[in-house]
Amino acid sequence: MAHDLADILIIGAGASGAAVAWRLSDAGLRIVCLEQGRWHKPGEYSTSFPDWEFRGATSFSFNPNVRALPEDYPVDDTGSDVTPLMFNAVGGSTVHWTAHAPRFHPSDFRVRSQDGVADDWPLSYFDLEPYYDLNDQWMGCSGTAGDPANPPRAPRPMPSLPLGPDGERLARGFDSLGWHWWPSDSYINSVPYRGRAACNNCGPNGLGCTVQAKASTDVTYWPAAIANGVELRTKARVFEVTTDATTGRATGARYFDADGNVQFQPARVVVVATNGIGTPRLLLLSKSERHPNGLANSSGLLGRNLMFHPCAAITGFFSDGLDPTYRGPLGNILLSQEFYETDSARGFVRGYTFQMNRSTGPARTAMGFTMAPVAWGERHHADFAMRFGNSTTVIALGEDLPEEHNRVELSESLTDSNGIAAPKVSYRLSENSARMMAHACRQAETVLDAAGAHTVKATVQLRPSGWHLMGTARMGDDPRRSVVDHSCRAHDVDNLYVVDGSVFVTGASVNPTPTLQAIALRAADHIRKAHNR
Amino acid sequence: MTNPPMTDTQMTILSGAMDRLVPPIDDLPGAGAMGLAPEVDSLARRHAPYHHAVVIFIEKLASTWSAGLLPAQQDALLRDLEAADGAAFNAVLELVYLAYYSEPRVHRRVGWRGGPLQPEGFPLAPFDPAILQATRQRKPFWRQT
Ligand SMILES: Cc1cc2nc3c(=O)[nH]c(=O)nc-3n(C[C@H](O)[C@H](O)[C@H](O)COP(=O)(O)OP(=O)(O)OC[C@H]3O[C@@H](n4cnc5c(N)ncnc54)[C@H](O)[C@@H]3O)c2cc1C
Ligand code: SF4
Repeated sequence: MAHDLADILIIGAGASGAAVAWRLSDAGLRIVCLEQGRWHKPGEYSTSFPDWEFRGATSFSFNPNVRALPEDYPVDDTGSDVTPLMFNAVGGSTVHWTAHAPRFHPSDFRVRSQDGVADDWPLSYFDLEPYYDLNDQWMGCSGTAGDPANPPRAPRPMPSLPLGPDGERLARGFDSLGWHWWPSDSYINSVPYRGRAACNNCGPNGLGCTVQAKASTDVTYWPAAIANGVELRTKARVFEVTTDATTGRATGARYFDADGNVQFQPARVVVVATNGIGTPRLLLLSKSERHPNGLANSSGLLGRNLMFHPCAAITGFFSDGLDPTYRGPLGNILLSQEFYETDSARGFVRGYTFQMNRSTGPARTAMGFTMAPVAWGERHHADFAMRFGNSTTVIALGEDLPEEHNRVELSESLTDSNGIAAPKVSYRLSENSARMMAHACRQAETVLDAAGAHTVKATVQLRPSGWHLMGTARMGDDPRRSVVDHSCRAHDVDNLYVVDGSVFVTGASVNPTPTLQAIALRAADHIRKAHNR
Repeated sequence: MTNPPMTDTQMTILSGAMDRLVPPIDDLPGAGAMGLAPEVDSLARRHAPYHHAVVIFIEKLASTWSAGLLPAQQDALLRDLEAADGAAFNAVLELVYLAYYSEPRVHRRVGWRGGPLQPEGFPLAPFDPAILQATRQRKPFWRQT
């Protein structure tokens, strides 16, 4: 069945799709968004139920292969050192994310010029700055301006979240070494904001926020976009962006509806926002005679240069009787950017950020979370007691340089519930990343010692850490070396845009979402201009 | 819930193994003697990969496991299974931990409130910017481009 022509068709209703939809929603355009997942009511989130830890490990797992819900597509990650994580619903992975909201640094956009590796971006930090600010307002940012590790930024809409006794202890550890730390910018309300409640420190905000204190785009951008007339069609799984055989231009998308029927949504402009794995998958699926290697893939780079961020988890164990360390949002306490920039004496290029993570509930503690599971047998109770409520983790998030062999392809054997080829991920951690993480583990041990930990244990590479999906449809000025241009428009197809983390040229060493949302908002302004609105 | 519940024999093996995985502490018996095997079974039936792991776990222990074995012999059997089929073993260990650490008696012992996390949450004092005094003295050090 075919629908009425849309001016703009957005595919994917996650972090970036929602931002684009809202930004374009007052331009008098007919906008349709197709999303394979459904709406989740906040009351359905795990933390409303006594068995929240079981749900978090199963039907609400970060890992789509574990959830295996009809709206999830499987990911073949057998050839990857990192497990890709995502959520498929209105809000996308922001339903699950921990809402830690740092920005890239100006230097992150000039990696080639400054350090001779990877490539420079075709835009700068300052091109994005107004969009970062806009996004901070819409998502709702708690924080404190004045961080010396970053360019000055506008006053944060809300004060910083509580550091908690565990955060204060770690902060003093950093201070005692003379190392940088700063309270994290977080898209979590420290006070009531725009009709959403303040965080009540329940803890595992990676499992959805029942009180809507955490910004996920289903409770931020989407209500505003829909109020402005955007049509969001759920349970609509797109399997092809269609093109005109003569002009090669995008004409719309074909998708399976909730009943498994094929539908066609025609559109003047198609915007793909299906994340760093879903986007190359969809564009590779959309090959045609005119685009034989996949849509927008004349460079051959579609799906290549996948970046995740190498991630080490270093945990300190304390016995100083401070409040239990599971109170407060899991990952939005403080960060340190002491080791952010390249220092050749360290034996690797680029750098990493430290972020503090709290501990969690008893079953998840026993299951290991960022460590091996608690020992079984005679050592069980002592091991559990050492960890539960007494441990604090320093996460080291490193810059992952783009490498063409790290990539997303189509699986030849695995399919989703509609029979569409699943993505296959090949990813190996580089030597540079391994050296960086080894350095990070040593420095984290130093700071945890300084904070008073009696024991420190490190997981040098956390496998289930594929939260950040970047680089697989990179932007650039040269169509031979990139998939989209600085405005996110595909070089090969002038009415096709990609606005998610796929377009990243490099990954920096911070969480990517404020940056990808800023890029999406900026792309929306370009689309608007192209339509003279 | 399409999978049938466990038989008594399967339940006895699982329960015995659970006592070795999470042994008694203070006034609490081991996880099996606490009567948590049916809970493990019911959790497993809510998630197919867990159920599959439990079936393998019990199948592999069935021919060698006996309540009459010494604890050290039972531990050796579990260690062998862990080495031979780590995936199934770890999945069952997760289930046992999920069942054990959802039990109110265990919550009381470890000092966990229990129940859903919402709507109560936990109290924390608001952020006090005074703690930034040392860091604020540092000059901006972000790399110029
Ligand atoms: C557990 C977890 C914690 C995280 N924590 C942080 C954090 O603290 N800070 C941070 O910056 N980032 C974090 N992230 C990452 C963040 O969630 C992502 O960067 C962000 O959501 C990506 O936005 P996106 O728009 O690219 O994709 P997504 O938000 O993943 O949205 C993509 C949407 O597209 C839909 N879709 C995919 N394919 C199709 C198709 N064929 N047809 C129709 N619809 C489709 C999906 O269902 C999904 O809803 C975290 C992620 C996870 C999983
Ligand atoms: S810790 Fe705060 S933001 Fe996170 S889920 Fe709980 S209430 Fe929501």
